This record gives sequence, structure tokens and C-alpha cells, in this order.
Amino acid sequence: MILHVFYLNYNNMDIFIQAASQISTQEPLSEQWFDSPVFSEKILNESIDPDFKLYIPVMVARRMGKLMKRAIVTSVDVLKKCELTGDSLEAVITGTGLGCIENTEHFLNAVLDNDETCLQPTYFIQSTHNTISSQIALFIKCHGYNTTYSHRGTSFDACVLDAFVQMKLGMISNALVGGHDEMTPAYFTLLQKVGYWKDAPLTEESFHSANTAGSISGNASLAMVLTNKETFDALCKIKAVEMLYMPSIDEIKAKTNAILQANGMKLADVDAVVMGFSGDKDNDEVYKNIVLQITQNIPAMCYKHIFGESFCSSAYGVYVAATAIARKKVPAHLLYSSKDEIRNPRNILVYNHFHNIDHSIILLSCLD
Amino acid sequence: MNKILVTGMGIISAIGVGKAATVQSLLDGKSGIGSIKYLKTKHIELPVGEVQCDDEELKAIAGYTSSKPITRTSLLGRVALKEALEEANINLCRPRKLAFISGTTVGGMEKSELYYHDFLNNDAHNEYIAMHDCGACTDMIGKQYEGKFDIVTTISTACSSAANAAILGANLIKAGYVDAAIVGGTECLSKFHLNGFNTLMILDKEECKPFDKNRQGLNLGEGAAYLVIESEESVQRRNVKPLCELSGYGNACDAFHQTASSATGEGACKAMAKALEMSGLNSGDIDYINAHGTGTGNNDESEGAAIMRIFGDKIPPVSSTKSFTGHTTSAAGGVESVISVLAMINDFIPNNLNFSEKIDSLSFSPVKECIRNVKLSHVMTNSFGFGGNDSSCILSKL
Repeated sequence: MILHVFYLNYNNMDIFIQAASQISTQEPLSEQWFDSPVFSEKILNESIDPDFKLYIPVMVARRMGKLMKRAIVTSVDVLKKCELTGDSLEAVITGTGLGCIENTEHFLNAVLDNDETCLQPTYFIQSTHNTISSQIALFIKCHGYNTTYSHRGTSFDACVLDAFVQMKLGMISNALVGGHDEMTPAYFTLLQKVGYWKDAPLTEESFHSANTAGSISGNASLAMVLTNKETFDALCKIKAVEMLYMPSIDEIKAKTNAILQANGMKLADVDAVVMGFSGDKDNDEVYKNIVLQITQNIPAMCYKHIFGESFCSSAYGVYVAATAIARKKVPAHLLYSSKDEIRNPRNILVYNHFHNIDHSIILLSCLD
Repeated sequence: MNKILVTGMGIISAIGVGKAATVQSLLDGKSGIGSIKYLKTKHIELPVGEVQCDDEELKAIAGYTSSKPITRTSLLGRVALKEALEEANINLCRPRKLAFISGTTVGGMEKSELYYHDFLNNDAHNEYIAMHDCGACTDMIGKQYEGKFDIVTTISTACSSAANAAILGANLIKAGYVDAAIVGGTECLSKFHLNGFNTLMILDKEECKPFDKNRQGLNLGEGAAYLVIESEESVQRRNVKPLCELSGYGNACDAFHQTASSATGEGACKAMAKALEMSGLNSGDIDYINAHGTGTGNNDESEGAAIMRIFGDKIPPVSSTKSFTGHTTSAAGGVESVISVLAMINDFIPNNLNFSEKIDSLSFSPVKECIRNVKLSHVMTNSFGFGGNDSSCILSKL
């Protein structure tokens, strides 16, 4: 195999999201959220877990924290849908803003409370960010490419970029890409002190009109399989993945146009734009400006009102877009402003940003 | 027009601030491992490779004049980034599209562990809360560059983070996303991971002895190192002098155990084989291996077995420079890539300190004395992390 293939940006090879599996505040390992979403009126939200022992042997699960179990279950579930095994899977790429923070807190508390004595290694071993990616590989025995991105609100986006680029370069033909984060009560408290969360819960009606600081916390456990082989049942194509650092609105506009042009499209061909509206005033302002300056009349979609905010919540942005394309509609509850559901969306742009520092733009399209 | 070239480097570790000091320490056989001076811990019996500067001194070296607080991980990164930007002349002549990809795992933990009770109980040190995570540390480093990067991200694969940053950077250049990328890693010592490694009973209470039969474990170190990697086209356009080529790299997973490597070094073998395949080189072309060589019983035996599988009976000189710097964890892939290039440019092979007796199961011994006046065409550097995250890079003379 020739690995040195240069400057293949936007070559003809198509890349697909074959399938996805999620655990969140919605019904686990299910797309029930698409037709009947549950809106939580809490600020700190727990995920609804499936019966872990159906997927992980009890003895193995005992040594795993909740986040790890969710990562294993979503990964195993999506690989099964794609008929992939540890042997045929070529890459495990995980995004996580905080890693297994529950284990980190356990070990940190032990170090501080016991004054650096009488410590057990278990929580330390499972505290490193790459525990998730490596435990997945260990669980399914996959010796392929394995890495972990931990870059706040674009951790998942970097995973998609990595897989996309390696497929374009002919280095891999499939990848398990995941976004996994948990919010513990202690970390929630810390982030609350620096303005991450709302002081009081919101109602579904007031979520997008509150115009106050802070958002609603959620967890992220989302696994998807990307592949360069087309099958009739893939969710959608990934046409472009771009990341930007501290871009001006003009740079975002130029990048959007470049993406569309490279794919022979115009703005009018885009049926919807997914944005990470979280109810936080400053966060939402950035998206409102993108609508105002760039996407204008294209309907904006949202997802954090049902999945919550976390460092890997952007994974759900890609997921809702892919699901909407596959299910051939954008239901009204995913629309930010207009309330008329969209029929047969063919192309959806997914915008994400973290504190207006790191941005990403992903273009998804329907199968031919 | 298809090479990934290295056009600049920056480094800071226990053996010095900057490339010149690093080379001098390596040539003089002067280890940076010693007693704990700066880290606030009760485990003063453990030798470490500390950077010999406190935070204020690091701020001065990095030119950090802001009154805003900053983590030690970010300060170390800023020192290394500054040197790399200067050598590659990036401040004066910017590559068209430029990425910054940094590896870290400890991130802001060294401040969080100091102030954790304050975080929970009062508002005295809230400014450090949002600096705890890995990405925040990268952002604090990335903002140093006034020309503004185009893509910034963070890799956290424990002790192979910096090597994996190089892999992503090279792939982004090949795919045409960027013309150049600054890749590597940064990590400061923390009470958190010193105690973590200590509970695993893999810390030597004396100076570490990589590849020695009686090795007792590793010494933790701290530091940062970045390489500027760039397309040939960009190198010509900017008219900068390339130092060497990043000719191959590979990443594989051992998928054996969360903290131990397989006896046969499965992941290590696959990573080295992938790197060789990409470079188009035969194993016999490699002139020196800068090994991961932590000094733990498990790593050195497993890595040694993997080297024997790949190189057969023609094993090139091998050394672990962790015997100089300590194990700089997430920065290690950067620190050791820079050391590998420095060895290539300055025609020497750094020795493996504290070695006396060969490991029974291995067919080779590491380099005991610094070898000078040696021409190195191709150097392999290995970085293996917890969870079997194994990566290998090959650097080649032009």
C-alpha cells in the first residue's frame, strides 16, 4: 500500500457515517429522542444507562467507571451494527475533554486527604484520558491506530478530522470515532463557579429565549463508525471537515464558501445548519452572528436543549444532523427558530465553537 | 515535492533550557536527574528530572509578562514554542496555513492539586479552575504566537502524546490542510502523577537504569519540546533551511493491558513496522534507535523483544535518553525527537547512563559511552504510553 499520497484534499473518495450509538439523558442506544425527546428541567443531568451486563461481563465491568462502561457499550453496539470486529476495525479515535474525571477525582482526593500515603493505583490507572480509547481497543482486541483528543469543546471534532484525513490519505478505510465525557457533581460545582452553568433550571419554552449566562450540563457518550465504503444503509456522507482557531466572522464565511465550492455546492443547496445553541448568552451570540452574516435564511437546528452541554456535546451535533439526513426529515423540535419540519434534507452544515476560540465546520450530505 | 521537513525545534528539560544546553549535557554525559527541588510533595526520596527553574524564572525565559496566572505545563510549552518559532523563522515569514498540535495529560493538575480544597470551599483560586483541562493548557501556549494559528488541538495519549501530535501534524500537511505544523508536547511534574506512578511501584529510588538487568523503574521528568514540520513547497516558499525529514511514522495499539506491555511487544512491533513501511526504509537502514526505554522491568524487556523482532541480528545502537531527562511523559515524544535530530545534526549518539548488565532475554546492550563523529542517516524514536498507545517516528538526514 502506498501511504505517501499528497495533497489529496477533496479528492473523489467519499467518506460515510455508517452508524452511531449513544447514551445520554435520552433513551439509551435508541433514536427515540428523534420522535419523542425528553426535556429535562435540571441543571446537572444524569444519563439513562442501559443494562451494562448485557454487553460487558460483570467481572470486567466491576473495574470500570460509568463513563468507561458507556464508552464500551456504545462502541460495541455501533461496531455490531457495522459488522466490524477488533480485527477488521482499523482505528479507534476518542475525544474526551476531561477523561475519566470521576477516577481522577477519586485519586486526587486520596492523595490530598491521605497526605500522599496509603494510595491504591486503580483510580490512577483509570484516570488518564486515553484510558477510554485503549480500554475499547483492549475489549475488542484492536491493534489498529489508537489515539485520544482532549481539546475542550472541539475534542470530538478533532477525532472526525483525524479519521477523515487518514481516509483521504488512504491510510485507513474505517474508524470508530467517539466522544465521551461525564460531569461529576464536584466538577459541576467547580465549573459553576466560573460561569459554565445556569443558576436556575429552564423550561423547554424558555431554553432559547432566556438570554442569560451559563448552560445546562449533560454527559456525552457517542460512538460512530466512519468508513470509505458505501453501503445502502449508511447514515450520510461526510463531505468536509474543517477546524479553525480564533477565526473572524469573515474567515468563517470564507471557509464556509470554500467548503461549498469544493463540493460543487452553493449556500442555497444547504437545507439546514446545526448549531450548538446552549442557552448561554455569549455562546449563542456567536451562532446568531453566523446566521446573520453567513447562513441567513437557512433554518438553524439545535440539540443541546435535549442532550445538554459537555466538552463532547458537539458529537451530538454531528449525530443529529446525520440522523436527520438518514431519516429524511428534521423534526420541529430540533429547529431553533422556524417550527416547520424540514422534509428530505440533503445537505446539512454543522457549526461548532468553544468560547469563540476553537471552531469547526462539518458538511454532511445524503447518499446518492 | 512530497517530504515532511523539520525546520525548527525548541526544547526544555532537566538537562537544560534550549538546544545548545541540551546537546552539551548529552555530550558531557551530564544527567539532569536529582533531588526534588520545586515540586511540593512529601516524596522527597524519589529522584526526578526537574527543569531547574521556578515558575517566575520560566516566565522570564518565555517572555510572559502578563499578570494573568498560568500553569507550569503551559510555561514550559511557551519556552519550547518560542525557540521553535525562532529557528523556523515563523515570526518573520509565516507559513500560509499553520497548525499547533500539543500533547499533554497532566495539563493544569499541578495547580489544581495545590488549590483543590480552595476550589471546593472558597473562591481564592477560581482563576485556575478553567485552566485545569488539557485543551486549556494548549490554548494558553498557542496564544503566545501573535501570528495566530489556523488549527489548534490537543492530544492526550499519556506517554506517547507528543509522537501522536507529530503524526496528526504530518497527516494534515499531506492532506493539504496546512503547510506547516508545530508538534510536540509539554508536561510538568505533579504530585498527582508522581504518586500515581509510585503506587504502581515503577519508580526507581535511585537514578534509573534503562535496559539494565537490575533496573528498578523509571524517574519522572518534566519538560516540553516542539518541532516545526513543513511541506517541501512551504520550505522553498519561505526559504528556510530544513534540518531533516520526518520520513515515517506509525501508531498501533498493544491492546494487552492498561498499564503493562505484552511480552512480545505486539503494539511496539506494529508501530515500528508501520514507520519503516512508510519511510520506504529497511530495518538495516536505521543507524540509531532512541528507545522509549523507561527503565521499568516491563517496558524495557517488551520494547527490547520488539526491537529484536524488527531488527533481527542487525540491531543498531540503542539508547534511552530518559537516563538524562527522566521520563517527561506526554512531552517525551517531543523531547526525544528533538534529541534524535540534535544527535543527527551534531554527529553523535547519546549514551544510556547507568547501564552495567545486559537483560538476559535480550540480544543487545544499549550504548554505554557517547559515540562521537558518527554519521547518522536515519534515526528511529519510540514513544509508548499507558493503554498500549505505541508510536514510532523515523527522522532522516536530507
